[in-house]
Amino acid sequence: MITLKVNNQEYDLVIPVNRTLTQVLRENLKLTGTKQGCSVGDCGSCTVLFDGEPVNSCLVLAVEAEGHHITTIEGLADEGKLHPIQEAFVEKGGIQCGFCSPGMILSAKALLDKNPSPTEREIREGISGNLCRCTGYQKIVESIQAVDKR
Amino acid sequence: MLLPKFDYQAPTSIEEAAALLERYGAKAKCLAGGTDLLVNLKKKLLSPDQIISLNKIEGYAEAASQNGQGLSLGPLCTAAYLAGSKLIQDKSAVLAQAAAKLGSPLIRNRATIGGNLVTARPASDLAPALLVLGAQVTLVNSKGKRSVPLEAFLLGPGQTAIKEDEVLTEIIIPKETGPSAGIYLKLGSRKSLEISLVNAASFLALASDGTIQTARVALGAVAPTPILSPGAAKVLTGSKPKDSDDPVFKEAAKAAAQDSKPITDHRGSADYRREMVEVLTQRTLSAAYHQLMKNA
Repeated sequence: MITLKVNNQEYDLVIPVNRTLTQVLRENLKLTGTKQGCSVGDCGSCTVLFDGEPVNSCLVLAVEAEGHHITTIEGLADEGKLHPIQEAFVEKGGIQCGFCSPGMILSAKALLDKNPSPTEREIREGISGNLCRCTGYQKIVESIQAVDKR
Repeated sequence: MLLPKFDYQAPTSIEEAAALLERYGAKAKCLAGGTDLLVNLKKKLLSPDQIISLNKIEGYAEAASQNGQGLSLGPLCTAAYLAGSKLIQDKSAVLAQAAAKLGSPLIRNRATIGGNLVTARPASDLAPALLVLGAQVTLVNSKGKRSVPLEAFLLGPGQTAIKEDEVLTEIIIPKETGPSAGIYLKLGSRKSLEISLVNAASFLALASDGTIQTARVALGAVAPTPILSPGAAKVLTGSKPKDSDDPVFKEAAKAAAQDSKPITDHRGSADYRREMVEVLTQRTLSAAYHQLMKNA
């Protein structure tokens, strides 16, 4: 049995050791905001924060997440109120089909937590592990730039 | 893609890990960051019975200065840690530069230096930087430990000198006497999540009279392993460039291109790669020398 701490809540789980963190978040905890895309670390749609740092959860064994703080997209809103980054994405049209949005927003959060006023280059670098196949990067970058000015 | 079935163990000491490897040998694989191992498991390229995680062993994710003797890097130092560490930026800047070019921010937060070396990809970002720094790796099994120069550790694509019962426990970067500088450059068709088409690292150290006393040039993705160029080192050692545009750097770059053994594949032709070895080598050498002059 393992205990996972996700979005400041503890879960006791009995799971096979060959389950990835993505699978356990989605299938056991029903936190389906984390998406499974390529499953080999190329697309970033499975991004979660691991002790505050963005990682591909498809390449993390769930058992290896024990003892660490995991934040998923569900952990950002506060009592039904969207996080400022989420609001900026809605306002600025940073969401198209939405599949990459949870990962994009979490990568943006990790960036902004360290660097509240990033340059455009720093933003593009910060989200460079997250692919958007609607190719709406411009609006995503504008959304992240808008967070600071809100 | 699903992971195959395996047993998982997470020893808390190197002794325990070595005992497990002694018992399971080729049936076991060590897990560090998992950014290569989990992909290979999912793609069914590997099917070990046992996964032995090194992540519960304390002190493996840090770098330390060895009381003036150089640097000791734990095998679980992540690329993000190496890129952002003040110690690495100050003492071995070329390694910090290479780490910053690896994969993506997401991959860099998991991928480790030990994993990157044991995986032994010809286009590894970290290996060329470590080669020019003269790095050694420490390998431990239940009987003892041995130290191997990185150049002798890397044997071929995915092949290293590590034995089935050994764990890579440390990377040592010896201290360089005199002023030194190193530069890493990577050529690819995009900036992130890229496997180098060609990469190059250069390192120069000066004697007190300004002559180059140590010169190392390493090349990636142009041979079965990342390689050191003996030709470039020979051209440079003992020379006294007048500035960063000195013709000796061009000559060394030509020698590096001759030492490379690139192949043609879907990412580029052998001729193009050889040409780019020359370009990248010259740029890294000029930039390293420029930095030395600036610091002087």
